Amino acid sequence: MKFTFKRGVHLSYGGKSATSVLPVREYVTDYVKIPMSMHIGAPSEPCVKKGDLVKIGQVIATPVGPLGLPVHASVSGEVTAVEKIPYLMKDPVTVVSIKNDFKEEWVDLNPLGSVESVDPSMIIPAIRDAGICGMGGASFPTHVKLSLKPNQKCDVIIVNGAECETHLTADHRLMLEYPRRIVDGLRAAMRALNVENGVIAIEDNKPDAIEAMKRAASGRDGVSVCELRTKYPQGGEKQLIEAVTKKQVPSGGLPIDIGVIVLNVGTCAAIADAIIDGMPLIKRITTITGCVRHPANLMLPVGTIVEDIIGFLGGFPEEPGKITFGGAMTGLCIPNMQIPMMKSTNGIVVFNEREAMSMEEGPCIRCAKCVHACPIGLNPYRIKVEADADRLDAAKKLNVMDCMLCGCCSYVCPSRRWLSASFKIVKEKLIRQAKGGQKA
Amino acid sequence: MSIRLSSAPHIRTGASTQSLMLNVVIALMPCVAAGVYLFEMNALAVLCMSTGTAVLMEYLWQKLMKIPVRVGDCSALVTGIILGLTLPPTLPWWATMVASAFAIIIVKQLFGGIGDNFLNPALTARAVLLASWPAHMTTFVDISREHVADAVSMATPLSGENAVEYTWMQLFQGAIPGSIGETCKAAILVGLAYLLITKTISWRIPVITMLSAFVSAFILGMDPVESVLTGGILFGAVFMATDYTTSPMNASAQYAYSVGIGFLTMLIRRFGAYPEGVTYAILLMNILTPLLDKYLPNKIYGHGKKKEANQA
Amino acid sequence: MIKERKSLGKIFLNGVITENPTFRLVLGACPTLAVTTSAVNGIGMGAAATFVLVGSNVVVSMLRKFIPDNVRIPAFIVIICTFVTMVQLFMQAYLPSLYESLGIFIPLIVVNCIILARAEAFASKNPVLASAVDGLGMGVGFTLALTLIGMIRELIGSGTLFGLNVMGAGYEPMLLFVLASGGFLTFGILLGVINAITAYFQRDKHSEGGRA
Repeated sequence: MKFTFKRGVHLSYGGKSATSVLPVREYVTDYVKIPMSMHIGAPSEPCVKKGDLVKIGQVIATPVGPLGLPVHASVSGEVTAVEKIPYLMKDPVTVVSIKNDFKEEWVDLNPLGSVESVDPSMIIPAIRDAGICGMGGASFPTHVKLSLKPNQKCDVIIVNGAECETHLTADHRLMLEYPRRIVDGLRAAMRALNVENGVIAIEDNKPDAIEAMKRAASGRDGVSVCELRTKYPQGGEKQLIEAVTKKQVPSGGLPIDIGVIVLNVGTCAAIADAIIDGMPLIKRITTITGCVRHPANLMLPVGTIVEDIIGFLGGFPEEPGKITFGGAMTGLCIPNMQIPMMKSTNGIVVFNEREAMSMEEGPCIRCAKCVHACPIGLNPYRIKVEADADRLDAAKKLNVMDCMLCGCCSYVCPSRRWLSASFKIVKEKLIRQAKGGQKA
Repeated sequence: MSIRLSSAPHIRTGASTQSLMLNVVIALMPCVAAGVYLFEMNALAVLCMSTGTAVLMEYLWQKLMKIPVRVGDCSALVTGIILGLTLPPTLPWWATMVASAFAIIIVKQLFGGIGDNFLNPALTARAVLLASWPAHMTTFVDISREHVADAVSMATPLSGENAVEYTWMQLFQGAIPGSIGETCKAAILVGLAYLLITKTISWRIPVITMLSAFVSAFILGMDPVESVLTGGILFGAVFMATDYTTSPMNASAQYAYSVGIGFLTMLIRRFGAYPEGVTYAILLMNILTPLLDKYLPNKIYGHGKKKEANQA
Repeated sequence: MIKERKSLGKIFLNGVITENPTFRLVLGACPTLAVTTSAVNGIGMGAAATFVLVGSNVVVSMLRKFIPDNVRIPAFIVIICTFVTMVQLFMQAYLPSLYESLGIFIPLIVVNCIILARAEAFASKNPVLASAVDGLGMGVGFTLALTLIGMIRELIGSGTLFGLNVMGAGYEPMLLFVLASGGFLTFGILLGVINAITAYFQRDKHSEGGRA
């Protein structure tokens, strides 16, 4: 039996075939810029300065605040700058630039041994010290997700291997090449929280990954593999939970409210690395595809600059129109090529001029396609009317805050209306309003 | 080198307003072909007149009012063809023109153009014709004769005791008096199949409307099969009730809307003064559409029974 | 609310154009829609209403210092009733066919909001002559509007104008326009056209900051 959720869209274009069969390759750059805010929460505080020599895995920034995470050097060499650069669409962020000396000098790692024998109370601190955050895109600090309040109980941990986004194959390749690591990481999380059930959920367009994960999971306590129907956004946290457990996360709540924790496959592998090898999160697999000469899945040190990656892959075959971090449905545009990738960058997609053309918005013809696509069950066409008129309260009444910006409504709209894009703006305004209200 | 910034999503479906409308046009072609085959040149003349006027009026209005010309979205084309198909083949050319202009200018453009009209333009124009020139609208040719030229005016199988009896097969093939597009049920079903395969419309409205009509006819003591095969209920359910702009958008509201159309049609046929009620049934439910959408909302993810208190 | 004293000509034109009861105030829409199936009906209805308006305005204005505030509405209604009864009996006696076609809408002039509105808003606060002119102006405005609607509906719906066949023998009248929905359509479109015209002419005035 295959599991799925209500509504959603069947994407006619996947863009995955270019990279899904390509094994992961290593690429080590000679220069990295490591951002200090790769996770949700306050930016970390740099603890190195220009001219310092750092080793691989050395802590270069310390956590700030309850959602803080440490940052580690991903290459060895000399710190050439600690500076602010413009980043994605948000405010400028501080980056620590390191010139790679290719000496491959590591700090002393502190392995804890097998995930089945390690002391469960050691696991969550180890995850925090390794600087692990969600690697699927939201980049929420993993140790916070796994720290339950006394009244909370987790029944099942779901590992998200759906990878429903277009273009991306990083998780797919990870599942094929490091299935044991993923299961190890899941087991570590299960042991840390004393959870009996772990489910690895994978869309059925990746039968080889399902096969590999089933093999790796056999004989491991409480770990099973769940086959999901291929539909967007199957890998959305809420949709994944609905598909696997048939339960819905309450509006405004967290998965843990119904006893579920969702971890990305990449996060699980990082947890395993942290426990077994004591290795912090300094590398990740990223898919680079679209309008590049040689699309690839690369194992990249965190902080590698986009321009270097593209150069390594042979450059652009034609003039690029836009470049996104993440897939085509939810990816964020990057403002220039000097931007470094980060812990949660699962893909870099290059669109050519034609694909990047923005389309003119037509009038709504009330075709209801957005209504039948919205996985949440909202009325996007009505929210759009309120959003265009800047009536925030009316939009809030229409539950715009439940919108998770999956982009289904914009995707299906025959009039090419910017539905989810305007909801994003409305949500940001509402959040700002709520924060302002608290202060006053 | 300049790279652009834009909001997600970065890909869109291939379907556009124009392609959806063209799908409807293609789906209407079997009906057009059947109509022209059954009613010969008369039907072709009515169809050309209604379609041509609709497109021309839309263009002229948008030019005159200095608003963006959107004739290219083909919605006026669809309105024109649908209107033509609901008319009797013997309708005078000037009446067709008036109806077509009325549909585009008064019903559609005066209310804001595509997406903003609250009534189905083609159907409203048909209702206007029914009210204005009832004699022209209720005489039909009997094409069971050899040639249309020899045909005499007569009533549709729906109108009362003096109606001729037809077999179910005749009703299905369409060799009966009636409007151009509504008589050949086979052609309508081909159109429906095309609309469903191309996902232009969802199955809900046409299927539920037909089911509702069938059950309502049975409850009201009429022959259900004959009721569904006569008159315009099938054409209405497939091409008129499914009009995007004037039908509800939430699934549950679509059910209520479809049930309402089927039931009202049979109610008007059984007790009303008119022999056929599809036009008025659909128009009435069109008017109810915003209300249905408001009071029959979708279930929203995560808005279950509990946790409601937390929100407040 | 104190109105500045205006010249009688201005008061008259106010009723006919600036505050035309049908097209600007949208008052008395019920008879407007119901009886305007022909131009003659429009004139008849308008004339009857004008007579009642002038009469009731004059009497209300004369008695305005004696009518206690608390019971002014019943008092106005009684005055209006008197004039309506006069019109009704007159029409029944001398214009029986018009009386037939206007039917219930003659007695219903009593509750026509234009008349009560003028009594309340104008006649009860102004001298007799001004009230009479106001009644006349409003009445003429109402009559003109009704006649215009009636003419359009009669022309399209029956092919005649004031009873004369003007559209030629081949014309098949569009019955819709003599039905209720035709009334709404004509009224609505005329409202739109008149709004567009006024907006066009008032563009310059608005830019000076004056509000109508």
